[in-house]
Amino acid sequence: MSLYLLTADEIAALAREFRTTHDVYGPQSHPQTGQVFFDLLAEPEDLDLDAAIPSMPVKEILFPQMERILTYSYDSDTQSVRMEKPYTEKPKVLFGLRPCDLAGIMCTDRFFLGQEFVDDVYLVHRRQSILITNTCRQPWDQCFCVCLHTGPAADEGYDIDLTKLDDGNYLVHARSTKGREIASAHAWKPADQSHLAAKAAVVDRSVSLFPDLAKDNKAWVSRAMNRITTGFVKHEIWEYIGQQCLECGACSFVCPSCSCFNIEDKTICDSDCERVRTRDSCSFEGYSRMAGDHNPRAPVEDRRNKRFFCKLSYSQSKKYLRPGCVGCGRCQWVCPGDIGLPNVVQYLRRETTE
Amino acid sequence: MTHANHHRENCSKTGICPVVAFPEVVNIDEIADEAPEVKTFYMSFLNKDVEREFRIKSGQFIMCTVFGAGEFAVSLPPSPENDRFHITVRAVGKVTHALHALRQGDKLGVRGPFGNGFPFDDIKGKNIIYVAGGIGLIPLRSSIVHALQHRQDFGRIILLYGARSSADLLYQADIRKWKQNEGFETFITIDRPESGWDGEIGYVNQLIAKADVPVENTVAFVCGPPIMFNNVIADLLGRGMSEDDIISTLERQMKCGIGKCQHCAIGRTLVCTDGPVYTYHQIKTLGEVI
Repeated sequence: MSLYLLTADEIAALAREFRTTHDVYGPQSHPQTGQVFFDLLAEPEDLDLDAAIPSMPVKEILFPQMERILTYSYDSDTQSVRMEKPYTEKPKVLFGLRPCDLAGIMCTDRFFLGQEFVDDVYLVHRRQSILITNTCRQPWDQCFCVCLHTGPAADEGYDIDLTKLDDGNYLVHARSTKGREIASAHAWKPADQSHLAAKAAVVDRSVSLFPDLAKDNKAWVSRAMNRITTGFVKHEIWEYIGQQCLECGACSFVCPSCSCFNIEDKTICDSDCERVRTRDSCSFEGYSRMAGDHNPRAPVEDRRNKRFFCKLSYSQSKKYLRPGCVGCGRCQWVCPGDIGLPNVVQYLRRETTE
Repeated sequence: MTHANHHRENCSKTGICPVVAFPEVVNIDEIADEAPEVKTFYMSFLNKDVEREFRIKSGQFIMCTVFGAGEFAVSLPPSPENDRFHITVRAVGKVTHALHALRQGDKLGVRGPFGNGFPFDDIKGKNIIYVAGGIGLIPLRSSIVHALQHRQDFGRIILLYGARSSADLLYQADIRKWKQNEGFETFITIDRPESGWDGEIGYVNQLIAKADVPVENTVAFVCGPPIMFNNVIADLLGRGMSEDDIISTLERQMKCGIGKCQHCAIGRTLVCTDGPVYTYHQIKTLGEVI
């Protein structure tokens, strides 16, 4: 085990050091609104490792809301075309990821890189990135990661993991080859078993702060998964859920694992065009509508249940090697109806037990 | 080795798959009118290395870029050495209308081919019935050409084809040529009576009884609009055909073609990578209506 004990100053120094060679992203609290965003650090002092869960998932960095994936110009007089690849590779550090956001990156990694075809745009953003996680010392209002085994501490997929102990020092675990290389380039003070015990205490306390429903019943989500997979959810339940959907798409945009996108070609001026990929949501009516207006998924409950099927069914979980939900609770936060994923799980469960 | 396989190999070699963002450029060599609003575009690759490596399995599709308008999914002819490389497209939406406005010498972008293709290895020795409604003949055409090229591998080959009017009938020259093959039977119908038309009148599913199609040791390829599809399936099942022997190729909105954008999801499958060719049994169990 490559375990080290660092002071808060040494952690800040590490972030400053990364900034000389990498784009460093980290959680920052907005001074006026108090909102937390995981964004490029303008100043190293902006890094706030004690901040709450960021409002937007970290996928913004690897899979942006809107991105140019091709620029071209077509000259119809000479009938010739010139194409250029507009996205570039930059080494980056994601400093202070919440474990749920790390789980989200694991999902999008498996989806974009681990299937039959590799998505080269995602790969370019992902290839040279260092992931540094930060154990959650306390859950926030909507958190339910304990139900999906994604938190409050990360246990796989990171390069370096940080845990703030009660004495204010950080227990640092360098896990991957990249992480160990970073550790061995520094003269960090090694940690011992007592520090691991101190971390366990921090994690236990964090778990104890979750709502009873989440911590007492870890089968909460898996029972709903079983229900969805076997197709025993009554149509009335989907209709009930569909009735509360305003089709705003917010749940998809704040979900760390949602990866649907749309591609559109836009004319910038004259013959100059760009191909833009934007995130999309399966709750939109036009999502599966084809030219000629045939829409196989017109009713809203049809589209709604696809989202929850995608998150929770067994066959989709095989694709991601885990449920598509990471338990961050952001959908619950933003949903103007009452159908964030935890609530939907409750509806399905209530249906099961009644 | 298919073009997609080639890219897959490239992926593992270099870690980069060029298919997502970069289309290959093709030249429009010739444009032919097939029917009102339907044109065939004969094309060739500018990059001759790509052209040499470009292999299609009958039933696959490409993502075709109309520069300045966007990209659409379209079915392909059989392999290029057997047939000229072309696409046949009806102007329906924004991109296909832009395509129809192009002229000879204009350039298009091509990514692919994608998809699974028709299961020819599994159906050797069987009779084949093609049931096509309207432009549903376009994706089936590559299968027909393939089957006729391997005529000795199959029993009877029957084409049942229906269109709205005689003007909407596609590939008439091809059909005349196909008819010269031994054991190739064609039944064509149009929806409403027309002066000068002495053939069948009515919907294509009515041809199933008329042609007295075999059921034993037979597969049916069905492609057409949803209502025609459902009627044809009901009639074929009614004659005792098994769900596994009815094969169709589906159409969905697609943005990427490589299983990422998820627009073509039906239940747990993606039409672009798992399809577009499915048996009716698979379609029935996908968990969504067609």
